[in-house]
Amino acid sequence: MSIADSSVQPDLSPVLSAGGQAADASAPGLSPWELAVRRLKRNKAALIFGALFFVLVALALAAPLWAQVADTTPARNHLSDTIVVDGKPEQVVTFDGVPISPTWGKKFFLGADSNGRDVAVRLLYGARNSLFIGITAALITTFIAVALGMLAGYFRGWTDAFISRGLDIAWAFPPTLLGVALGVSFALGGLKVGPLEISGDSLWIPTLIIGAIGVVYLARPIRGQVLSLREKEFVEAARAQGASPLRIMFGELLPNVASTILVFFPLLVANAILTEAALSFLGAGVQPPAPSWGTMLSDGVVLLSTAPHLTIVPGLMLVLTVLSLNVFGDGVRDALDPRAKVRLERP
Amino acid sequence: MSRTLRGVLCLSFACAAMFGLAACGGDDDDGGGSNDGGGAASEVGGKTGGKITTAYTSFPDYLDPALSYTQEGWQSLWTVYTPLLTYKHAAGAEGATVVPGLAEDMPDISADGKTYKLKLRSGLKYSDGSAVKASDFEHSIKRVLNLESGGASFYSGIVGAEKYIEDGKARADIPGIVADDATRDITINLVKPDGRFPYILTMVFASLVPGDTPFENLTKNPPPGVGPYKFENVRINRGYNLVKVPDFNVADQQVGKLDTIEIQVIKNRRRQTQDTIQNKIDYMNDPPAPDQLRDVRAQYTDKRYQEFVTNSTYYYFLNHRIAPFNKPEVREAVNYAVDKRSLARLFGGLLEPGCNFLPPGMKGYQKVDPCPWGDPTAAPNVAKAKALIEEAGVAGDSVTVFGNDEPESKSLAEYLSDVLNDIGLKAKPRIVEGSVYFTTIGNQKTRAQAGFSNWFQDFPHPGNFFFLVDGKSIQDTNNQNYGNVDVPALNAILEEADQNADIDAVADDYARADKLLVEGGHVVPYGHRKLTVFYSERMNFEDCTVWHPVYNLDFTNLCVK
Repeated sequence: MSIADSSVQPDLSPVLSAGGQAADASAPGLSPWELAVRRLKRNKAALIFGALFFVLVALALAAPLWAQVADTTPARNHLSDTIVVDGKPEQVVTFDGVPISPTWGKKFFLGADSNGRDVAVRLLYGARNSLFIGITAALITTFIAVALGMLAGYFRGWTDAFISRGLDIAWAFPPTLLGVALGVSFALGGLKVGPLEISGDSLWIPTLIIGAIGVVYLARPIRGQVLSLREKEFVEAARAQGASPLRIMFGELLPNVASTILVFFPLLVANAILTEAALSFLGAGVQPPAPSWGTMLSDGVVLLSTAPHLTIVPGLMLVLTVLSLNVFGDGVRDALDPRAKVRLERP
Repeated sequence: MSRTLRGVLCLSFACAAMFGLAACGGDDDDGGGSNDGGGAASEVGGKTGGKITTAYTSFPDYLDPALSYTQEGWQSLWTVYTPLLTYKHAAGAEGATVVPGLAEDMPDISADGKTYKLKLRSGLKYSDGSAVKASDFEHSIKRVLNLESGGASFYSGIVGAEKYIEDGKARADIPGIVADDATRDITINLVKPDGRFPYILTMVFASLVPGDTPFENLTKNPPPGVGPYKFENVRINRGYNLVKVPDFNVADQQVGKLDTIEIQVIKNRRRQTQDTIQNKIDYMNDPPAPDQLRDVRAQYTDKRYQEFVTNSTYYYFLNHRIAPFNKPEVREAVNYAVDKRSLARLFGGLLEPGCNFLPPGMKGYQKVDPCPWGDPTAAPNVAKAKALIEEAGVAGDSVTVFGNDEPESKSLAEYLSDVLNDIGLKAKPRIVEGSVYFTTIGNQKTRAQAGFSNWFQDFPHPGNFFFLVDGKSIQDTNNQNYGNVDVPALNAILEEADQNADIDAVADDYARADKLLVEGGHVVPYGHRKLTVFYSERMNFEDCTVWHPVYNLDFTNLCVK
């Protein structure tokens, strides 16, 4: 996720003055945000994948309904059960440990896993967990990164040095290894910080870890942008009017970095979902019996050739979700990034 | 006592290869047992000579008899080193019988059970040609103790052994071992009688090495031993060769058939299986990968692929000291609710469902029949379990079920958690990293309520299983009686039986202990692990497979067609 091209500002006048599209030029009354929405609407691929993401969210929300239809729960074992498929009785898990393939019926629509659990039900509940972690972690990342970036960029000096060196140190750690180390250590004892106490199997553990890991990727570009913006006339004017640093940061600067945050957010969500899957695959993310696509992949990989549905199904969901977020995110970036607009307008 | 065994074995390759017996060994020991005139013996038929390649998933922990504590290590070391006492190279009960190794005869045990007298055979030579001396035994034990081997605790019952460890002086004397090189007499004095001591003398740790063997890990360059094979070309983490010792000739001791056995480390079990199918390797030590097992079973119905039940027990512990399992009804409910058929499926069929705590191949095993909790091969009685939970007034009580991150253990913890939820408790699994799992649940501060546990024998003696449920073995840390089982009647039986060196005399006592443990519902035993052998077509698997109850596949009997 590069931010080299993200010197995005809501002040789109340079683009427009450079000769924007006729539609834009003929609508001088439109705000930059309205222009961005208009551009986004023209990007069919972004809209289709954005819609796909919302369909996935809707499916995740419908997980309890499907569990009712399938008459099970995501953690329920059916190891020794037999069901009727096409009029024939079939074992959910055979004696030699091979689970049933997709039945395309109410029960075991997408087959069972090696514990005899309904893959479709686990997939949908896993979607809830993955999306919860992805979105919440991205929000945490954004909140912390914006705060740190603004402080470092606005105050400069020791504040900047302290925050930037801290980010440098965090940058030096391989993110997955850091996540595994934190995830494994918190999984057993939980997390206790003052009055805050989170049990080891809580979804908040991987959420906080992934949220914290992501900060470094957003805080630096925010800082860079604030460093540039703080020298602008509108900031000087606010300062001359006696505005406090807090007011300048949140009243003047924050709206000006909002587009960057908007561009980054879907990408952060996608990245967080992937990180969650990786951590869960390695046993350091979502703790059992809660399902996640990462744990489902991990459980299925040992039966890759006899029960490929165990890896294909969660893998496909992961690809679709991340792809939809990335394409939609790219669309948002194209809509908000004036240089991207210029690029599009080249003959 | 054998905490390290559990740790090392279970981590070394996912508890997938251990010590075991072939209750279903078929006609493994069908050989002629030809004994060439009191000289070295060959147990089964098949031609001699040739070289084979075998695949291990990981390199053994050590190739030093003082240190190795894994099945892979012992399987090879047993062919290179011979202790004073050993086992016959045979399958089934015959292979579990202690016989003289480098000692002339079985030990002369004093009436109080504390003194063991043995005599070293005459004319013994190590593989490098040097003479074997009686004092080498003391040196070998000193190496075990001084190197802080996982097996050191087995020998701490020798008089002066504890002090030897405390002092840390390698060359110091162990007063409890008296050896006379001239007469070849060896006398061992114990602090207190221990009926398991003859078995402890059979362990690879007690193998004789030359008296000048350094006090260091010699895996890179293993010391010479007295055995049918010797190590050559050791490549750490890559492999090694077992090469036949041409002049090995110890009365009644097995000679090897193959000239060379090359052990290669191939980490990927799928590749091992493919290579075995394609005859690129001749034997794979671990079972085929789970997704290949069904095909291998279906395709190789002859003896090229075989399964054997090991001397192992898989069970759930239920902590007697912590609610709700401090109530007998709750423990009974869990025993009623666990479906052993389901658990066998989690092992891909490589688990023999059972009701006993002792495995079928162990002395003292008497099938608890009928099983008080229902037929292990039939559906569980969940309704009864639910009623017991209601009766105990613990419905809705929270339970954490412990398991480790090895695939089977994780699935087993998730399964039990689901079962407990089904019968009215409120359970969730907690998965702990494998390397710290047993120390975590063995720490009383963890307050582990229930969870996965297993045990593979160190030696074929029931006492090696029952210490897991003996009230005397409860400790604050490194506890292996995870359920804090402390049943006075059981403790009393074990106290007496453990002191008797005559295993046949106390076999019934151990059977009584097993019944008491099972019928009391103190733990939830559910089965015994199976292991496999899978050969290439080059191998003479019809005549040369001996599944030894302690060392698994016996390398000395392997032969090619």
